[in-house]
Amino acid sequence: MSTSSSSPSSDEELIFNPNPIPKPIDDELTLASLTLTESNGNGSVGESDRYGGAGVVLEAEREGEREGPSSPSSSGYAGERGSSSEGTSNSRIGDEDDDGIQEVINDHDGFVDGVGDSSPSASWVPGKRHVDEDDASISWRKRKKHFFILSHSGKPIYSRYGDEHKLAGFSATLQAIISFVENGKDRIKLVRAGKHQVVFLIKGPIYLVCISCTEEPYESLRGQLELLYGQMILILTKSINRCFEKNPKFDMTPLLGGTDVVFSSLIHSFNWNPATFLHAYTCLPLAYATRQAAGAVLQDVADSGVLFALLMCKCKVVSLVGAQKASLHPDDMLLLSNFVMSSESFRTSESFSPICLPRYNPTAFLYAYVHYFDADTYLMLLTTSSDAFYHLKDCRVCFILIQRNNNLAFDVTNKGSSCVATVVRYHSCFQPLDPANTTVQLWIQWLVATVVLLRSNVLSEVQRSMLEGGMRVEDLPVDPLPRSSMPHRLSQQRILTQSPEIFSESIVGIGGPTGLWHFIYRSIYLDQYVSSDFSPPISSPQQQKRLYRAYQKLYCSMHDKGIGPHKTQFRRDENYVLLCWVTQDFELYAAFDPLADKAVAIKTCNRVCQWVKDVENEIFLQGASPFSW
Amino acid sequence: MASRRRMLLKVIILGDSGVGKTSLMNQYVNRKFSNQYKATIGADFLTKEVQFEDRLFTLQIWDTAGQERFQSLGVAFYRGADCCVLVYDVNVMKSFDNLNNWREEFLIQASPSDPENFPFVVLGNKTDVDGGNSRVVSEKKAKAWCASKGNIPYFETSAKEGFNVEAAFECIAKNALKNEPQEEDYLPDTIDVGGGQQQRSSGCEC
Repeated sequence: MSTSSSSPSSDEELIFNPNPIPKPIDDELTLASLTLTESNGNGSVGESDRYGGAGVVLEAEREGEREGPSSPSSSGYAGERGSSSEGTSNSRIGDEDDDGIQEVINDHDGFVDGVGDSSPSASWVPGKRHVDEDDASISWRKRKKHFFILSHSGKPIYSRYGDEHKLAGFSATLQAIISFVENGKDRIKLVRAGKHQVVFLIKGPIYLVCISCTEEPYESLRGQLELLYGQMILILTKSINRCFEKNPKFDMTPLLGGTDVVFSSLIHSFNWNPATFLHAYTCLPLAYATRQAAGAVLQDVADSGVLFALLMCKCKVVSLVGAQKASLHPDDMLLLSNFVMSSESFRTSESFSPICLPRYNPTAFLYAYVHYFDADTYLMLLTTSSDAFYHLKDCRVCFILIQRNNNLAFDVTNKGSSCVATVVRYHSCFQPLDPANTTVQLWIQWLVATVVLLRSNVLSEVQRSMLEGGMRVEDLPVDPLPRSSMPHRLSQQRILTQSPEIFSESIVGIGGPTGLWHFIYRSIYLDQYVSSDFSPPISSPQQQKRLYRAYQKLYCSMHDKGIGPHKTQFRRDENYVLLCWVTQDFELYAAFDPLADKAVAIKTCNRVCQWVKDVENEIFLQGASPFSW
Repeated sequence: MASRRRMLLKVIILGDSGVGKTSLMNQYVNRKFSNQYKATIGADFLTKEVQFEDRLFTLQIWDTAGQERFQSLGVAFYRGADCCVLVYDVNVMKSFDNLNNWREEFLIQASPSDPENFPFVVLGNKTDVDGGNSRVVSEKKAKAWCASKGNIPYFETSAKEGFNVEAAFECIAKNALKNEPQEEDYLPDTIDVGGGQQQRSSGCEC
């Protein structure tokens, strides 16, 4: 596969150099040890400045790289492409630990809002950027993390940067590499080339590739590709495989039309959402009674034939109920909430959309009904009934009528038959409605749930929790709290501390007690995690991302099947002291000041665990979790 | 319907080594020609956008190496091709005789659903050489072969002069348009909870 051959002698040069990669990597990765080289006149490996044609860009990035062939004798067409990159030739690589090149940092990766909210801020522009780029553009080559989806015939399906069609040649190159290895009855998993890792994931007729120089572990990048694939399955189900069986030429891009934003938002979340590597979900902190109340409403809906009912605030769970024996995997929750939050249409109108939960059943659709109560809080009902869709409009009209008519005795506290009768009566104004029909029952239950939630204090409590934030390292109790019950201990403690602004000012560079900067606690039994809010000195999005990447590395090393499992890890570098502690019940990841004392750090971790235990009723969804089935 | 959308066509170029496959592509995509011969290693990939009858096409051109030792790249390479271009040198009889092998090999490897009607295009290249005096394969002979294989469109080209190259590739787009599959509704199953055979996946299916 020459990407840019340039002299007659290069004829003899094999592009796939089967030499083992210089630095051995853990055996269990079963690496296909391939070194991709580019042929140039001298036959030297990796020295060519010309990526040419659609060659794989595996070179370490070079400052001040100039466009154009370095070998003047070249007669190849390959290096002569790339006129589109002229405008970006001045771009430089950012030193920041960032996925983009420096010039795009501002519009690209400013992300976390700060305390109490770890979701993308307004500064992150959703959707695909840099569509004008292709593989000949210098700026494109310098992006730190590329994601590609392509079909087994080499047709592009998705690219994080650049226009898919313009990248058709590049996509073909990726397919050629994969099929070359396949031809040798092997499977390509990883190519290392300088600072770059090229990670491959093959899922039947779908190929996923990540090219990254972010130094994330192979397992992390592979996990991200798995999620990307899961997101595609969520939108289309695995039935796409059948389309490829019938017709290898099948072009699935039309089926994915308009979903760029879903993928780009998922890729963005790899930077800020620990759920993407912890495989656990997180809850919005709420008083136990409030969460119970929300759960009771959802349970009523679930009993009427809904498979899953979720009340969520951004990507945090308020409450969640599953029908008997049905369990929802945290990855499915992540992909579902990403799909809903990134698709603008769910916000602007109540929507009913077919979705597939890849971990639940990757082959078939469910139907998701989504209703936003406010900008961040939404109710999701997952049903198996597609005809419910056709009743939606009627029910909606009916609901509006009920809301408008204050004279109507709509006894929502008494969610019984009178309520059903009322809805049926009103609905009958438009067309006959059979109250025994399961779909009708379902929608009536939904109406009831909505009204109950609107009238209860659940939604206002959700708002309050959003504003107040979650656990903060500064609030870590110095002495174990008395075991007496303290309702909503999180917020009560907040009152005891100084106001956040003054507080933040005074402790810059110090963090919490004993230099604790941040922690994540993951309950293994509940499949949930809680992460402390970010506070100084981990305040900028860059620092937060760097910390998450450090956690990611820690997570991978703790879960490494080859050398693990480990119970504790204490690691000190110039940025942090990282302490990880894994037991049967939980995993704790904590970051400290790099000068923190080891003994004190361990003691602090014990206190964090005690603290989490003390407030577990507020930060975790207890009992009602479908995982307890 | 969705006929306005851009179409991506995978085009495979096959033929003996030295017949000018790369030069044809280079002439077509970059409008450049070089007399210097350099063998293609494995395959080269090029992208060209073309407009035809109001529709935008992206041609993803797979320029393969003619040498036999690269043929092991095989099956996966040809998978999902929309069109196959067979190239021979009008001055070399052997390269014409081999067209049959190339065609058969492609049909075996790619195993298209309808091999009889799979869109091929045959190009007789290097018509410019020696003013046509060294030519050994007549147009008539080539056309007869094409007719016998289900009326494959035939073009005489010169990558050097740029003669007929554009027309040949336009024909590829035309062919693909003709063969565009009917849009089918995408209708995956819905989970049936009541049926008792609800699949409960507990882990990753990989």
